[in-house]
Amino acid sequence: MSARERILARTRAAVTGAAEPEEARRAAVAVRIAQAPVAPAPRQALSHGPQRLTQFMTKLEAAAATIGRVSGLSELPKALAHELRKRNLPAVARVGSEPMFAGLDWGTIAISHGPGRVEEPVTLSRAEFGLAETGTLVLASGPDNPVTLTFLGETHFVVLRAKDLCGGFEDFWPAWRARGLDPRTINMVTGPSRSADIGQVLQLGAHGPIALHVFLLDG
Amino acid sequence: MSVHTPTTPAFQSNARAAMANANLQSALRGTRDNFVGKRAAARAALPEFDDLRDRARAIKNEVLANLDLYLEAYERAVIASGGQVHWAETAEDCRRITLEICRKAGAKTVNKGKTMISEECGINDFLAENGIRPVETDLGEYIIQLRGEAPSHIIAPAVHVTVPEVEAEFRRAHTHLPADRDLSELSTLMREARGVLREKYFQAEVGITGANMLVAETGQSIIVTNEGNGDLSQSLPRVHIVMASIEKLVPTLEDASTILRVLARSATGQETTVYTTFSKGPRRKGDPDGPEEYHVILLDNGRTNMLGTEFQDMLRCIRCGACINHCPVYQTVGGHAYGWVYPGPMGSVLTPSLIGVEQGGQLPNASTFCGRCEEVCPMRIPLPKMMRHWREREFEKNLTPAAQRQGLRLWAMAAQRPALYRFATRIASGALRLLGRKRGSLRSLPFAGGWTGQRDLPVPRGPSFMDQWRGPTR
Repeated sequence: MSARERILARTRAAVTGAAEPEEARRAAVAVRIAQAPVAPAPRQALSHGPQRLTQFMTKLEAAAATIGRVSGLSELPKALAHELRKRNLPAVARVGSEPMFAGLDWGTIAISHGPGRVEEPVTLSRAEFGLAETGTLVLASGPDNPVTLTFLGETHFVVLRAKDLCGGFEDFWPAWRARGLDPRTINMVTGPSRSADIGQVLQLGAHGPIALHVFLLDG
Repeated sequence: MSVHTPTTPAFQSNARAAMANANLQSALRGTRDNFVGKRAAARAALPEFDDLRDRARAIKNEVLANLDLYLEAYERAVIASGGQVHWAETAEDCRRITLEICRKAGAKTVNKGKTMISEECGINDFLAENGIRPVETDLGEYIIQLRGEAPSHIIAPAVHVTVPEVEAEFRRAHTHLPADRDLSELSTLMREARGVLREKYFQAEVGITGANMLVAETGQSIIVTNEGNGDLSQSLPRVHIVMASIEKLVPTLEDASTILRVLARSATGQETTVYTTFSKGPRRKGDPDGPEEYHVILLDNGRTNMLGTEFQDMLRCIRCGACINHCPVYQTVGGHAYGWVYPGPMGSVLTPSLIGVEQGGQLPNASTFCGRCEEVCPMRIPLPKMMRHWREREFEKNLTPAAQRQGLRLWAMAAQRPALYRFATRIASGALRLLGRKRGSLRSLPFAGGWTGQRDLPVPRGPSFMDQWRGPTR
């Protein structure tokens, strides 16, 4: 018997003491997984309308991120240029092949394409969804938004369409499944990276971004 | 030097040394203030918190009742997404499988996110013995790796290390940097660690992470972190190894979400950690980054032996550390005194299960049975009850010290003879009253130094309850 068979045999022997026959259990487990039952959502995850937006912004700022609203996609380069100047950052940004950014005129910002490198002062990604419950961005890894851009940028800018904002996990997962994505990683991000491992004092910018800014795209 | 040989049998002397260590005591005060208050605030901010705990408990009970089937479903999903599943019955199996994967990948350096399973299996020492350099990338783990220590807390592994000690360690280890650099600020220490580790992320051929959960529905492994080190450790090397124990299964993404809602709040008082990452399989066609191989090592190491026993509930544990943070014993002696990977109440239950009651039997005795661990546990694990079970087993196996056994036997003999017991207590309380008649309390008493060393012993004021119950005043 292999290690796999021995582990499963011990598990089976322990769990089936008095319970129903294996076929019934097997059917019940398959149903449990397929139906993915949902418990009542906490009130915090049930916001909607303008209140949802306010909650998202409040939670995001509580997590030490910043957020600005952009009225349309064509305004994005201007908004990014403004943030770069304000933060005294170089006029560069590393992006993937996100179609949303493809036709834009970036002006003086030197855009480079590809995954993250050792030194990456500015990265730009698009989030698939946002969760108002906790001020969380949800990114899907892939050529459009390489996962390393999320973790190697010193300052990470993320674009989120206002209409992709969910209340919480309960409406997010069905929306996620409906979009039919199958990335290697789903990255939920709530603020810039941090650690309290030195002297139990929380500091921002542990290994990932030191700053996180969200462009919330209206319309 | 191995930092993973258990010193659990020496708990008492470890604890004495810890209480005399001023640095440790000041660090522990910080933990207490940080973790306990923040959890309480997070709980108060979510009215449904206790309902979520019930739900989380039910999810894990469902998984444990059908663990064989959830493991099979999960394995199918991992393989379908191009990943590989390896089954490890023991720590030794886990080490061997890890080494095989690393050798095949031609690895010289292995980056690691924080994983308690790898501590349990002694992966670092084993890789080093075989010529592969393990690099811990969690800042706390990095600091203790430099110091040649084991973690003292499952969430905050370097919580016992003071800032000057961190600076000294960085100066000793980072000799490629100018010796006269300024490291007086916390931020400069952080920046230096960030810079040093950033280089290392790009050197490793293999990245190892743990898993907070495994999702049967999708075959995903989930990690939660605040630093982002676990994500860099798994995204940059060519091979990603996930080390997870078999009880990490949850059925669906919805179930994972329920547990996520109680996990961070119980651990650090955050609503959610900065990063929650769901990983599945190797990089997809066209992906410019991510590993080319994805391996999961499923570790048993004693857990199937807990199934179906009075210790099964312990397998619900999600390693948040709330029981540790709230334990008066942990708050006094810190994590190293426990002598192995898992400290505090969860460690006192888990350690004897995993390394044997002969080695770990001291730990269930390190409890005041105040019950705070069970009160704060998000998975409602009856920790005090299970510590009692271990005490019983320790006694049955004749592992309790002789003096303690004699004392218990003597007490049991008296307790089973009511007349004798009452006679003895009457004599004892009369004697105490006589001794302490001036002050109403005693400053010292033979054989009771453990009590009177810290506080006075109040003497009995009048006749015993039984005497009053029977007496004429009734």
